[in-house]
Amino acid sequence: MQGPDIAWYLAVAAFLFATGALGVLLRRSPLIVLLSLEIMLNGGNLALIAFSRLHGESSGQIFALAVMAVAAAEVVVGLGLIVAIAQRKLDLDVDKLSFLRG
Amino acid sequence: MIIAAWICLVTPLAAALLLTLLGNSASRRAAGYIATTAVFGSFIAAVVVFAKLWSEAPADRSHASTAWEWLTAGSFHVGLRILVDPLSVFMMLVVSGIGFLIVAYSIGYMDGENEERRYFAYMALFVFSMLLLVQAGNLVILLAGWGLVGLSSYLLIGFWHDRPPAVAAAKKAFIMNAIGDATMALAFFLLIQDGQSLNFPDMFAVGPGHGWLVNLVALGLLGGAVAKSAQIPLQTWLPDAMEGPTPVSALIHAATMVTAGVYLIVRTHAVFEQAPRVLELAAGLGAATLLMAALIALVQTDIKKVIAYSTMSQIGYMFVAAGLGAYGNAMFHLMTHAFFKALLFLAAGLVIHALAGEQDIRKMGGVGRVMPFTRTAFLIGSLALVGVPPFAGFFSKDEIIAAALSRGWYGDILFAVALIGAFLTGVYAFRLYLIVFPGKPSPFVEEHVHEHSHEGPFSMTSTVAVLTVLSVIGGLIQFEPLWGPVSSWLDPVAPPLAVPSSTQDALASLFAVLLGLAGIGVAWMIYGAKRWHVPTLAFSRRLLEHKFYFDEAYNFAFYRPAVALAKGLDRWFEKPVIGGSIKEIASGFREAGLDTSRIQTGLVRTYALVIAASLAVITIVFVAVR
Amino acid sequence: MGNVVVWIVWIVAAFSCLASGVAVISFTNPFFSALALIGNLASLAVLYLLLSAEFVAAGQVLVYAGAVMVMFLFVTAYLGGRADAPWAGGPTWQQFGAVLAAGAILVEVIVVIGLKAGGRLSHEAKIDSGFGSPRRIGEVFLTDHLLAFEITSIVLLVAAVGAVILGAHSRRRPDTIGEQIHEGEVHARP
Repeated sequence: MQGPDIAWYLAVAAFLFATGALGVLLRRSPLIVLLSLEIMLNGGNLALIAFSRLHGESSGQIFALAVMAVAAAEVVVGLGLIVAIAQRKLDLDVDKLSFLRG
Repeated sequence: MIIAAWICLVTPLAAALLLTLLGNSASRRAAGYIATTAVFGSFIAAVVVFAKLWSEAPADRSHASTAWEWLTAGSFHVGLRILVDPLSVFMMLVVSGIGFLIVAYSIGYMDGENEERRYFAYMALFVFSMLLLVQAGNLVILLAGWGLVGLSSYLLIGFWHDRPPAVAAAKKAFIMNAIGDATMALAFFLLIQDGQSLNFPDMFAVGPGHGWLVNLVALGLLGGAVAKSAQIPLQTWLPDAMEGPTPVSALIHAATMVTAGVYLIVRTHAVFEQAPRVLELAAGLGAATLLMAALIALVQTDIKKVIAYSTMSQIGYMFVAAGLGAYGNAMFHLMTHAFFKALLFLAAGLVIHALAGEQDIRKMGGVGRVMPFTRTAFLIGSLALVGVPPFAGFFSKDEIIAAALSRGWYGDILFAVALIGAFLTGVYAFRLYLIVFPGKPSPFVEEHVHEHSHEGPFSMTSTVAVLTVLSVIGGLIQFEPLWGPVSSWLDPVAPPLAVPSSTQDALASLFAVLLGLAGIGVAWMIYGAKRWHVPTLAFSRRLLEHKFYFDEAYNFAFYRPAVALAKGLDRWFEKPVIGGSIKEIASGFREAGLDTSRIQTGLVRTYALVIAASLAVITIVFVAVR
Repeated sequence: MGNVVVWIVWIVAAFSCLASGVAVISFTNPFFSALALIGNLASLAVLYLLLSAEFVAAGQVLVYAGAVMVMFLFVTAYLGGRADAPWAGGPTWQQFGAVLAAGAILVEVIVVIGLKAGGRLSHEAKIDSGFGSPRRIGEVFLTDHLLAFEITSIVLLVAAVGAVILGAHSRRRPDTIGEQIHEGEVHARP
């Protein structure tokens, strides 16, 4: 294969994952949190595709497609929740939305 | 015949179960009829068994039947076993016959009671229990019947359970009976340990080296008998048991249950005969009770309590007889006593029923004017009780007194006591009759009863009439030494130790009748003609009114310490240690739960952080392990 | 020569991937964050192409960047793009912990890649020209991984239903919890 080894792709994937995790943990707006979640998912996808290329198996790509579909579904529902929250005139702040507490 | 015996036993139980299951769907009257029919059926079955048994030769008259083996432990076998022999058939007839009459009487007496069905169910249960007791083929089944009659007694004494005195009386009866049950059980354990079979009639042949064992066993059995028959020292429950309905007092506490103790001694006479001191003790207790009860009856003001103490006294006679070995006489007196005591109670019931529940004789007077039938019945019952010929009591009581005469110096003491008892019986019995019945009706009586009103429903008057007839002729069945079918019937089962000679018989009868009549005369002088006054001996009056202070003594010796112990335990152990630890555990859990719930902050970012951190840790773990 | 080109393309794509990723989590304005994510997705598509996953790359651009992100942008526009400071709010220990955790994960993965799997990651399998093509993907989807295919469709259906329900409710009862909080009846605990 031309270009860098698979290891480099994996490193990029790890970075993406960590970046996404940081975003999820540090940001307060649920929209941004969702976006960060997307980054994490993409990081995972990249790793999947890289491994698929490494082993010559199409299964990794299949899995990546499935992940994409699930990510889409999740974004749909998440955005629906956010819109519903906004409709009820609540602050879009993850820290303030803490009603499910013990 | 065995089948008839089983039918006799099971029919009342079936009635009790049926009444329980029917509950409120049976009418109250129907409940009464069901119970009465069942007991009548039982009586018929008993008659059938009797006829069959009579047709056999005396030596063959013993049949046992085991329904199933109940308990097997090594060489120890106990089965649900009934025994048909002259003694048990005798008791079956008495129990089912008198039971039938009294249950029929209850139809009228308990008419209109709210919980009438429960009453009849309990009565049927009682008849079954008593039959189980007398038909028992081994000591264990007898103990089962023993316990069941105790239970029925408790249920029926406390029948009006919203009355605290009734409930207290029921508890007292049950607890005192339980003491007797315990001694009996201990006796059984000793027997089992010795390897004896508990079956009748393979009886208790304990070897000569076992003197202490057989004495202990006999004492245990005597304890049970004393408790059930309300003799000293376990007699205090019987007067209180009058809280129950009058038919209950008649059936359970006069005719049948309280005589179970006598039956027990006669049935297990083989054991007692090997422990002659215990037999003498039994006779002594009987004599003491006889005297004490008669004295107390002189000052009682409740009509039922007088009759109750009379019962206690008469059972004392039976204990004297059994203790002397005159088993046939004891059973014969049991039978005649059942007749006239039931009669007295039921006649008293007629009076109580007519006077709307009043039992205080000081308010009654001249009842005879407005209730002539009842007056006649009561008079005949009293005469039978005192032992005036030709009424029933004469034949049976005098035999006992004669038997006492035939047994040496100890017997002579008992003879004297029995004669004094006969005198006192005359006094208290006719004191009761003369206060209540003759003369002008008291204001209270006039308020409640009108002349020529009918004295009670047919069910009540007819049964009282039957008992009256029995009290008149019932004794004629045996007149020693001229003819003695009862004794010859029972002798094969329980051969008597005391057979008085004809002179002794005649002497005894003479003295007994004379003293009885003297007692009646004294009562007449004081209460009838009102020429003498009741002697005012303050101390003895107080003694008698407090029933010789037995209740107070038991309260002090047993009840107070028990209550103190219970209170102490509650205060020092139950509340702090047990209650406290439970509370601690409960609050500890609550605290833990509250603390744990603080983890749920509701903040998403915190949760996510925890997940991320866990992920980091787990990754390290996986990598390291790999 | 081809290798150099590939390397250069890779460096550019990787760099823009990482940069846009950082940008997503750094921007205050969610609109800009969403745009940065689109950039991220596009660079990822390039990386996929370098890994011979053409169909996935096309799907990424069409579905992810084309549909999902557009929806994101719509919602962001509808919500008005409220500003929010990136590092504000929450206890400091949380931020510190977040950085630590994310950093730990990153370091661990790099270490694993570096140390453990170093040897094995160099020998890529030989692939034919049909690898990653729609035909190949289609074949595998409908034979070996049919179950995944079907389940994915169910997941999408559920999401659609959920979205409709969430949308419907929001129109029917507008001011409930929100009003109550504003009027001070229900308190939100920080």
